[in-house]
Amino acid sequence: MEQLQNKVAELFEKGTISMMIGFQNAIGKGAVPCFLDSASQVKLLIYNDLCKNNLAVYLHKPEVKEAKKIGIISNVATLRSILQLLSENQLWSLELTIMTFNSAHELIVFESIKDVEHYVQANFPELTDEEKELIEKINAMSRQERWEYWKDLYSTCIKCYACRAVCPMCYCPQCTVECNQPQWIKVTAETSGNMEWHTMRAMHLAGRCINCGECGRICPVGIPVHLLTAKMNLDIKKEFGAQTGFSSSNSYALNTYNPNDKEGFIR
Amino acid sequence: MSQFEPKIVAFVCNWCTYAGADLAGTSRAKYATNVRIIRFPCTGRIDFMLLIKAFQNGTDGIIISGCHPNDCHYTSGNFHARRRWMVFRSLIEFMGFDTDRITFSWVSAAEGAKWADLVNEVTDKVRALGPFTEFKNIDYNSFNQLDNGAITK
Repeated sequence: MEQLQNKVAELFEKGTISMMIGFQNAIGKGAVPCFLDSASQVKLLIYNDLCKNNLAVYLHKPEVKEAKKIGIISNVATLRSILQLLSENQLWSLELTIMTFNSAHELIVFESIKDVEHYVQANFPELTDEEKELIEKINAMSRQERWEYWKDLYSTCIKCYACRAVCPMCYCPQCTVECNQPQWIKVTAETSGNMEWHTMRAMHLAGRCINCGECGRICPVGIPVHLLTAKMNLDIKKEFGAQTGFSSSNSYALNTYNPNDKEGFIR
Repeated sequence: MSQFEPKIVAFVCNWCTYAGADLAGTSRAKYATNVRIIRFPCTGRIDFMLLIKAFQNGTDGIIISGCHPNDCHYTSGNFHARRRWMVFRSLIEFMGFDTDRITFSWVSAAEGAKWADLVNEVTDKVRALGPFTEFKNIDYNSFNQLDNGAITK
């Protein structure tokens, strides 16, 4: 912890960063993200197992873009988000200083994006056992059972769009749900509109989602929304060999093609 | 009781399948009248949301058709569309959608007969499946639970 605070203070004094995105203590809530803009505040910074948020989502905020020189403390999911965002040319205006704690709790300050890539590739995460089990469980159901399973879950959705707000890949200035001519997604939180929303969200994240699982963790009614994109990532990896958040020069699986793609359903 | 006549929406590309359907017409091929054709510039233009909207507005089956691979007027539109369909199909299958009601096909401008066969075949298949009520009833069902059956379909 002190290691991190000292390092951040040093970076502030050197002028390497003008804003630090990290975590601070929150009474009763564990840890919440915080934004520092001077060395005098570094005592606030903490880093422990409760620091779960994917901080990459803040890199799109206008206040952060304005600060320009950004320090960010990351876990592997955040590093993957940053790589994916770099491959989508979203962070070109920022000068990032990326930090992480490795498994031995040592602070690493990455010198270049290449180092981030090597680190991510060496520590590439798999789906958790819980996620794998749920996907297998759903796959084993009959079609009607799957429909009922998701329908019951979607009927509880309150359309708060927390899954969108928390997603580092959802950065469109105008989202399709806000489009009302035509009205693609129903405004009210009824099951059919909820289903449209979740289908659309999953499709727009297909091949871009980095499986951080934030959307499922944040859902106030407990819909495992992250399973949809996780399942699609598995399929995309199987069919096209593409993996998201693997390097800063990823190509988007649905934005490219291979004339030899194999499919068995087109007649 | 009269036979159930399904409504089928066909999303087709302007350059191949639309011309193919035109050929079926000019060569006087007879095929089922259940299909409503919607013309698109290219299969690459067919947004997956359009399919969902079609189902929501009461279609019983969907045909999506365009140029054969390597024949796209815009060189690569159908390759992109194919990838999107592969991903989309696996997603809606995972969500429990009835994928039997969506038929993907390649029909070229010269294949008027194939188009007629395709429409007949899909019409028969969807007729056998019956009306698509799953999506239509989805909201009524949730209302029914609340109102104890006060609102019926």
